[in-house]
Amino acid sequence: MKTTITVNGVERTFACEPHESLKTVLRREGYYSVRFGSETGETGASAVLVDGRLVSTEILLAAQADGCTVETVEGLAPGRGLDPIQEAFIVTGAIQSGYSTPAMMMAAKALLARTPDPTEEEVRDVLTGILDRETGYVRPVLAILRAAAVLRGEAVEPIEAWLVPALTGPEVDGPVDLTHPLEGVPSAAPLVIPSPEVPETNVVGKSERKVDAIKLAKGKPAFTDDIEMRGMLYAKMLYSPHAHARIVSIDDSGARALPGVHAVLHHENTARVRYASGGQSYPNPLPYDQVSFDNKVRHVGDRVAAVAADSIEIAEEAVGLIDVTYEVLPAVFDELEAISGDAPVIHDEADMEGAYDAARNIVHHMEAEVGDVEAGFAKADHVFEKTYRVHQVQQVPIEPHIAIAYLDSDERLVLRTSTQVPFHVRRMVAPLLGLPVKDIRVIKPRIGGGFGAKQEMLIEDVVGHLALVTGHPVRLELTRAEEFMSSRTRHPQTITYKTGVNNDGVLVSQSMRIVGNTGAYGTHALTVQQVSGLRGLSSYNCPSKRFDCDVAYTNIPVPGAYRGYGAPQALFALESHMEDMARQIGMDALAFKRLNWTRVGDPLDIATRLGEGSSDMEVVPVITSSGLEECVAQGERAIGWHRRADPTWIAPPDRPHIRRGIGFAMCMHGTAIPGLDMGAASIKINDDGSFNLLIGATDLGTGADTVLGQIAAEVLGVPLADILVYAADTDMTPFDVGAYASSTTYVSGMAVKKAAEEAHRQITERAALMLDLDSPGEVELADRKAWAADGRSVGLDEVALHSLHQDQQHQIMATASYVSPESPPPYAAQFAEVEVDIETGQVTVKALVMAVDCGVPINPITSAGQVEGGMIQALGYGHCEEMAYDENGRMVNPRLGPYKIYRSDEMPRIEAYLVQTMEKSGPFGAKAIAEIPKDGVAPAIRSAIGNATGTWIDAIPFTPERVWKALKAN
Amino acid sequence: MATIRAYHRPQSLDEALALMAHSDVDATILAGGTVINGLPEEQPIDVIDLQALGLDAIQADGDRLEFGSMARLSDLEASELAPALLRDLARREAPNTLRNAATVGGTVAAADPESELLAGLLAFGATVAVVQSIGSESIPLSELLAEPSRLGLGIITSVTVEVGGDATAERTGRTPADRPIVMAVARRNEAGSVRLAMTGVDSTPVLVETEALDRLEPPADFRGSTAYRRELAGVLARRVMTRLGEEQ
Repeated sequence: MKTTITVNGVERTFACEPHESLKTVLRREGYYSVRFGSETGETGASAVLVDGRLVSTEILLAAQADGCTVETVEGLAPGRGLDPIQEAFIVTGAIQSGYSTPAMMMAAKALLARTPDPTEEEVRDVLTGILDRETGYVRPVLAILRAAAVLRGEAVEPIEAWLVPALTGPEVDGPVDLTHPLEGVPSAAPLVIPSPEVPETNVVGKSERKVDAIKLAKGKPAFTDDIEMRGMLYAKMLYSPHAHARIVSIDDSGARALPGVHAVLHHENTARVRYASGGQSYPNPLPYDQVSFDNKVRHVGDRVAAVAADSIEIAEEAVGLIDVTYEVLPAVFDELEAISGDAPVIHDEADMEGAYDAARNIVHHMEAEVGDVEAGFAKADHVFEKTYRVHQVQQVPIEPHIAIAYLDSDERLVLRTSTQVPFHVRRMVAPLLGLPVKDIRVIKPRIGGGFGAKQEMLIEDVVGHLALVTGHPVRLELTRAEEFMSSRTRHPQTITYKTGVNNDGVLVSQSMRIVGNTGAYGTHALTVQQVSGLRGLSSYNCPSKRFDCDVAYTNIPVPGAYRGYGAPQALFALESHMEDMARQIGMDALAFKRLNWTRVGDPLDIATRLGEGSSDMEVVPVITSSGLEECVAQGERAIGWHRRADPTWIAPPDRPHIRRGIGFAMCMHGTAIPGLDMGAASIKINDDGSFNLLIGATDLGTGADTVLGQIAAEVLGVPLADILVYAADTDMTPFDVGAYASSTTYVSGMAVKKAAEEAHRQITERAALMLDLDSPGEVELADRKAWAADGRSVGLDEVALHSLHQDQQHQIMATASYVSPESPPPYAAQFAEVEVDIETGQVTVKALVMAVDCGVPINPITSAGQVEGGMIQALGYGHCEEMAYDENGRMVNPRLGPYKIYRSDEMPRIEAYLVQTMEKSGPFGAKAIAEIPKDGVAPAIRSAIGNATGTWIDAIPFTPERVWKALKAN
Repeated sequence: MATIRAYHRPQSLDEALALMAHSDVDATILAGGTVINGLPEEQPIDVIDLQALGLDAIQADGDRLEFGSMARLSDLEASELAPALLRDLARREAPNTLRNAATVGGTVAAADPESELLAGLLAFGATVAVVQSIGSESIPLSELLAEPSRLGLGIITSVTVEVGGDATAERTGRTPADRPIVMAVARRNEAGSVRLAMTGVDSTPVLVETEALDRLEPPADFRGSTAYRRELAGVLARRVMTRLGEEQ
């Protein structure tokens, strides 16, 4: 059939099938700003204006839109240049990955067309249909309010960091009043508490526009799926309906006979090569417990077969025609049951490599000890022991996993994939496909969020196999339900702390036992649990510490990497345990924590016994920077900490069933994996004095490309606009481990700084030659020029032309790489304010405040965005997100809505403070910021619920029935 | 996407009824499409889109208010004729990207057990106008939800509610905008009689007698056990009735 639609003012007639969505048709016609988020429309990534109304086009038939007008972002500013809405989104920092940004901008357009002066509530309502895992909605709301002002003709101020005076430290005289909030902060300004130790810089430390702003703001074809390939086939997977079963037989004849089917792959026709799917450095940590297709399935959603066909519909039909006979086996889901010795054996295959005790489902067993823990318990005044449980959640990137494989004109295999680890993927997929690494190129385009889910070689082998078998380009995109059940999640854990503490509150001895649940496969099982131990035993000083951990195989969908990587689990247990002990010895919890927490100069002793890089660590690292005290003071003021001691505030007389509370958690994270994570960068000058910066680092929407560009620009004395960043293409850029472990700014940033310094040296040499100076040491670079001490200068364009064309020709270029010997911890103070309905158990989170010491924020606005967005994901973890299962291990809520993530109109007040410290080991003083916002929200909410009700809950999330039961039990 | 074999956009109600009667596969009325188009249908269906029939008006009719079945939830939300509580429940029913497509009639037909708007319509004494090829009838919403087969091959053309009186709602959910685990809405009409409707206590939104609260057997799910839902029903019912000034 045909549908006639006026798209961005042009009437067009499209051929379509009755079942096709408007999203499908618009994308096919090249409107790539319209993006897939879920089949049922809840993410809103596909939203456009239909007759002026914002509608998710995944649930609108193209036929329904016949006769309608449609507006997409492509129509906002069709030539070069930006619409005021696009400009506002860029300058406020509202764009992270940019995947859903076009939908948000169309929401803004619809709202502002009818309401030129909207309230914040109206802005939040117009964004309710566009789910965002990245910004926490803070900056998109500000962007729309700013765009409204601009469109009304009002003047707006540029957005600069707002410098907040320090509340602690030697410069502060006398006691400070923390009972009054900060006033006069301009809208959208990132809040920075400056440190006098930090030197002046020109580009670093400034809220520069993102280098990918244009393509993201204008909805350009920049993501994996935004490519047209002739003869492309569509892949679909057959997934296991059983939690644990042996495949007795597979009959694929029906599927193969279906017209339009090109290939059907499963264990009978695909090479059996063992691997571990986690995207980690060589050699990948054991176990090697996966193959592309196995003769056994170990969770609902496990791989059985893959089909490539001419269309998604044919591929789906073919999947349904594959006849599989299963021998269903008993299954186990709980980590404690799984290792009891009395559970079904999940990995009983003969070629299993590297599990600690596969017969008892124990993937890894770890022990580490500093001092003598038992002797410590014996001499402590008190010994407390408590067990905590943390559950399973999913990363929910709005762009699900997607990969396209094709053979290029040299018949090399190109994998265009939404990944955080392009170089690891290339190396890891090669043996599975039987290709040498040199025959594979991996390209990471823009990606619509990853959060660790994409630190995996998850589907690249499937499209690779299918492209090699068929000779066609092959595309595979996971559905939303598949993203839940067949990608990666966060490890559930049962954590038991035992701590000896003296009457004066000093910690004497502490042990932490974790039983981790790694589901059907052990990807990231070792390292996530190591990080749990590292983070769970590093935040507080204690002379004796012991870590003891078993990681269990079970039949749940597979946990892996998720932003925070073991730390959110550990810190929920640790911070809860610390508060529980403080109460029992009659100390104020914050004072008790402060007495014990680590400070500059304290040793990170357990680090030498745990962690991926620990084998290279001969010297016990010590803490070199900490802004924790300042973070606590800023946070106390911002949250209104003093109210927690006021009984009439806690129990408002006019609302008898409401109790209010405020909670605190301290957070300490790592920065990169020392001795292991490596980043590299190349830089070269162009004719006009601009530079190409080529990096292997993998921007997930975090702004990494921008931050790395800023570091290069700072060294080279040019504006950021003169740095052309190209990243994450294994043919074109130097190696980088990828985006994980909070390493990009710190490790890749140092590589960029070193490469830029070498280019700087070459430029000064050339300039010295041109200016007739004896020594290049006399030359300084600033304002796109090379300056002699006497005030003479040559432009970098002149330097480039001279060097490239005129005399002793030479390409000014440099490559450098960096691996860090240390991992300086960022610190943070997390505060939460809640209301608890004591009759129903409903918890309403009213405010989240986080003050973070991330060293020097290279770009304050993107740093603030990391904290704001990270807190909202962390809020979901603590409050409402959970993967729920029936008794057969089938997830019952693999859909957004039943799986609840926060939306724009229910957000608490969110504030982020950036407390500067000068971390001398980092580029321009930087430490990490990406993951620490995930660490403290759950324990801070627990603390707030305790403040409100006197009830302390030892498991998350704090859903109404759990809280109600705890209140009743108390 | 559902497996939709054919798309029809009839220009009259008679044409729509004829299509319903004569389709050789399952024929399904397409209102906004937010439910049907997202279903992973196994069997192919024909859809009959009512958008050309002019059924989207919202109009006062004496002491009642009539929502055309194709009135969108966003139309209801924006309607100054509609009671404030129903406007708020229309807003809560779906995020704006779906609210701008989903319709009042589609909400009734979909009979989502967690629909706050349906509970609100029950409390406002909604009746549903259904046109069949043999004639039309007006079915109380409570009866239609209890017995969906009464819709048969008919087409919902409007939903009519009482106006006036006092109404209030209470809910418990994981987050403020979440679909509630249990929600209670109560309305006292101008004659003084009170209706209490709830979600989360039965397989559809239902009218509940306050004396029957203890006897509810709510179906459990991962967000709430039967016992917890029963407890919530009691607490929330008491709150809304107290707010209306009704003694328990």
